[in-house]
Amino acid sequence: MSRKPSRTNITFGVILTTAWLGSLMPANGQAPAADKSAPKATTPAPALARTPDGQPDIQGIYARRGIWGLADDEREANGPRGKEDPLEDDEYSELPDNPKPWFQGSGKNFAQGGGGGVTLVGPAPAEPRRFGLVDPSDKILPWKPEEDKKRRDFLMNTNPPASLRNVEYDARCSLPGLFLNGGPFEFIQAAKEVVILSEYQHYTRTIHLDGRPHLGSNIRLFMGDSIGHWERNTLIVDTTNFNEFTAFTRTIPYLSDALHTIERFTVVDRNNIDYEVTVDDPKLFTKPWKTAGLYRRGKDYEMAEFACAEGSQELVNIFGQPPSR
Amino acid sequence: MKTTNKKRLTGVDIAGVAAIAAVLSLMQAPALAQTPAAHKLADGKPDFNGIWEALNTASWDIQDHTGQLGIPPGQGVVEGNEIPYLPAALAKKKENFANRKTADLTEANCFLPGVPRITYMPYPFQITQSAKAIAFSYEFAHALRVIHMEGQHPDPNSSLDTWLGDSRGRWEGDTLVVDSRNFNDQTWFDKAGNFHSDALHVVERYSLADAGHINYDVTIEDPKVFAKAWKMSMPLYRRMEKNAKLLEYECVFYLQEKRYKDAPFTKK
Repeated sequence: MSRKPSRTNITFGVILTTAWLGSLMPANGQAPAADKSAPKATTPAPALARTPDGQPDIQGIYARRGIWGLADDEREANGPRGKEDPLEDDEYSELPDNPKPWFQGSGKNFAQGGGGGVTLVGPAPAEPRRFGLVDPSDKILPWKPEEDKKRRDFLMNTNPPASLRNVEYDARCSLPGLFLNGGPFEFIQAAKEVVILSEYQHYTRTIHLDGRPHLGSNIRLFMGDSIGHWERNTLIVDTTNFNEFTAFTRTIPYLSDALHTIERFTVVDRNNIDYEVTVDDPKLFTKPWKTAGLYRRGKDYEMAEFACAEGSQELVNIFGQPPSR
Repeated sequence: MKTTNKKRLTGVDIAGVAAIAAVLSLMQAPALAQTPAAHKLADGKPDFNGIWEALNTASWDIQDHTGQLGIPPGQGVVEGNEIPYLPAALAKKKENFANRKTADLTEANCFLPGVPRITYMPYPFQITQSAKAIAFSYEFAHALRVIHMEGQHPDPNSSLDTWLGDSRGRWEGDTLVVDSRNFNDQTWFDKAGNFHSDALHVVERYSLADAGHINYDVTIEDPKVFAKAWKMSMPLYRRMEKNAKLLEYECVFYLQEKRYKDAPFTKK
């Protein structure tokens, strides 16, 4: 699955600075056949700015929408839908026979994934986006049966948590991994890197574009080790070296250290980036699966300090004070 | 040189001046290669991008100190070594030192360490510099400071306080000046009890000495604790390893793993 990073296609980039072609690119990044519907002359074509090293300039504030299985952009736009079953939209990871609620609060809110503080800019892309699980098409995750059982057992022991291991990541103020955060994000770019800053848990995710190899396999990270390259207007990011402590949703409370993701950030227009992740975790699943979402640009925004452990009493509330050290 | 000589400049003199100028410019050539000219970004600003780390013992004690078990000895980073504490504050500093094992919230609880302490802890940090924003990302506790190049500090009389301050950046020539306020009073400058109040005002100056070194100068003001402003100064070193990268030092997570290993705790 790993792709060798290639150099940004600067020649193509120069052409793009004068003519906006990105909207003609289907999400798979291949050049379109003659496209009659392309808004060539009628729609003013926004130029795609470039960073000094030739990357498409995607800097700014973003919120991420909908990688957790939501049905359509409309639901996203309308926000949380009150007290409906929080698992309703989470069809690919629901636990139909679970006799005991394992969640606290609104799972739907959780799935919305924040983005608080971000005032979206401009319209969503005109064409319908693909959200949530897009592969396999039946929206049933290819769990290994024994691993699915372990997961269900795990979830049954999360309320109350049977051990520290069963405490959700956010109650521990730990790094959330790639999936459990809807923003605000701030993207900044320097030579040969794309850096994603997160207000939530104040972390930094650096995507190296300099052709370096992945870290040695004994180094394990919550956020993984990300190397990437641009193919036209798509940033392709290959991430490995995860630890076993990051979740996908509340119903997928952990992934394994064999996790390998390939993300595709495809610039749709100035304000929208299509996002697709291939999740390959051979310890837990029989085959890779794929989920999709959208990064939407927000107005300029100064991210606040998100001090978490400094004020959190979660673990004390759950377990009581630990024995004196 | 006497002014009378200037009036007598001859053609030979002029040629001599030109020759000297030429020599001077030759002498400058190698110097230029070291100055930011070769290490500037497309926008003309010095290039601070990369991974940096202090290489001193200020994290243990910002002042001169002798080695002890677990404490590497070091020359201080405080200009003149003495910190102008107000009398009551000096007593507090001594009390902090006595109680440092539990009273230093960074050491005891992995809390965010404040500024400038985060800079000289023994962990690398990354500067990412674009025209639009400058981010300081630290390996310790994945701390992050976004340096805003525009805008104003929040109202100092507001209740807003932070662990790492509200940081506003500006350029003074090739020096990045970061002005930080709106701190809380919970962090120390080191493990030795040197402290501040919520009136802390920190001005950091980052200037490239060469491609591999930053001259880092800090001015500390806090009228509740210090009789006058004082300064720290130290070099920061670029991590030159191939593929240098920030990893994760998840202090809070590790501490939880230790403290809550046997949770839930059985009641006796």
